[in-house]
Amino acid sequence: MTAIFKKELRSYFTSPVGYVCAAVLFALYGFYYYSVMLVGSTYYIAAGVYSSMFIWSMMILPILTMRSFSEEQKNKTDQALLTAPVGTGSIVLGKFLASAAVYGIIMLGSLVPAVVLSFFSAPNWALIAGTVFGSFLYGAAMLAIGIFISSLTQSQIVAAIGTFGVSILLVIVDQFSGMAGNETAAKILNWLSFNSRYTPFTNGIFNFASIVFFLSVAAVFLFLTARKLESRRWN
Amino acid sequence: MIEVKNLTKRYGSNLALNHISFTLEEGTILGFLGPNGAGKSTTMNIITGYLSPTEGSVTVGGFDTLENPMEAKKRIGYLPEIPPLYNDMTVREYLSFMYELKKVKLPKKEHIAEICALVKIDDMMNRLIANLSKGYKQRVGIAQALLGNPPVLILDEPTVGLDPKQIIEIRNLIKSLGQKHTVILSSHILPEVQAVCDRIIVVNRGAIVADGTPDSLAHDLSRENRLLVRMEGAESDLHTALQAIPGVEHVTNLGEKEPGVYEFSVEGAEHTDLRRPVFDAAAQHHWPILGMKSSDLTLEEVFLRLIGGETSEEAEPEEKEAAV
Repeated sequence: MTAIFKKELRSYFTSPVGYVCAAVLFALYGFYYYSVMLVGSTYYIAAGVYSSMFIWSMMILPILTMRSFSEEQKNKTDQALLTAPVGTGSIVLGKFLASAAVYGIIMLGSLVPAVVLSFFSAPNWALIAGTVFGSFLYGAAMLAIGIFISSLTQSQIVAAIGTFGVSILLVIVDQFSGMAGNETAAKILNWLSFNSRYTPFTNGIFNFASIVFFLSVAAVFLFLTARKLESRRWN
Repeated sequence: MIEVKNLTKRYGSNLALNHISFTLEEGTILGFLGPNGAGKSTTMNIITGYLSPTEGSVTVGGFDTLENPMEAKKRIGYLPEIPPLYNDMTVREYLSFMYELKKVKLPKKEHIAEICALVKIDDMMNRLIANLSKGYKQRVGIAQALLGNPPVLILDEPTVGLDPKQIIEIRNLIKSLGQKHTVILSSHILPEVQAVCDRIIVVNRGAIVADGTPDSLAHDLSRENRLLVRMEGAESDLHTALQAIPGVEHVTNLGEKEPGVYEFSVEGAEHTDLRRPVFDAAAQHHWPILGMKSSDLTLEEVFLRLIGGETSEEAEPEEKEAAV
């Protein structure tokens, strides 16, 4: 697992993928921090920066995972992984942790303006930390979904667009709940929505159910990916 | 070392492997021979655990590849048909990754250096794999399979893409590896298999059609004893004289090859040498022999005969009859 983790992490930063994703997100973080500073209150860091960044992060995350297994399948390098004395579980986990590490680095980087602001003001660190933690959770769930989708296809483009589709759906699904005439349907849609799961974090609510939700989503999709790799042997 | 039992693989309704069984002792080099799509790669992929068989089992070093995959995989070094290389890595980075992935316990630096010297890639260590030529990529693939000195090496077409000098080098390398390792290599190049392997299994359409040493295969299949003779003289006299030689079972006239010169195919009983009686008969009548060769089957012909199954064997006798 560590071998795969190291290799994946390396490949994020020897190819432009890691840098491009980080650069785009940092630029957007910069913009939202700027607008918070215009307002002149660090209170808005959680609600203004991180909650606006939710949608952009969801758009960028599919790029991080699109080549995960697609490229291995296309170049037949999966033969090396699957014939090595390593379980499919550790292969998947290694890849997932590497992408989560990249996203984690981006999240830490996003805190730089907040740290700078703390020299001049007293931001509410508990609120910010909770929000960053929440961002990391939905990110992890989204990365797991992306890795799963990339294990379904040999084409990075198909994996990226497929993951975009799912990610957009998860962002807007709570908007359908208003339209759903049925109350149970509305509840389920709300329950599924990453947006309504994440928003409480930006308001300073540490929602245990949401933590479990995101972690479960990640676990389920990692499990499915491992099964998918295993099942390829039986085709 | 390797025991393959009743291996069957179906892709939907397509039967890729049909009840293949064989066992391999330690220190044998087995050549897997067959035309494209015969099931060579599928068999290798199953032995290495990349694919699962529909039926049957494989044990490597006593460990079943399905029940105890980790132990079985530890004992195998595999070079797939397309070497599994990461183009964005240097050779050193790649081998170091594979070393860790395979959980090799040997001293890392020395072990990698030793293997690189063996396959002669030590001067390419810091090159990006993407920039290597096909031959070097193939060698990096072989190096990767050798990491950890696994007792079993499975090499799918190891010399593809190499130049003639490299091919000889790699063949010698495989030969020397065969002293300590059990090697399975696949190829559709006959001389290669003939030169390197102790044992050959010929597969066609997912089934084993022949199994033996290179010599025994050629011998078994060339039981018929055939001589091609070119003689000058009157056609019918020649024919009757040849037919009259004791031990000759069948004489076929292959036609006039030069003015007044006829070629005959003379077939005799098993393991009789017809060359001397034919010479004696010709000397008796003062018919000059302008050419004579015994048509022992080469491995190439054996192979074509085996895999040609329905096509060539049926077609050949018809042609012969037409020639008569």
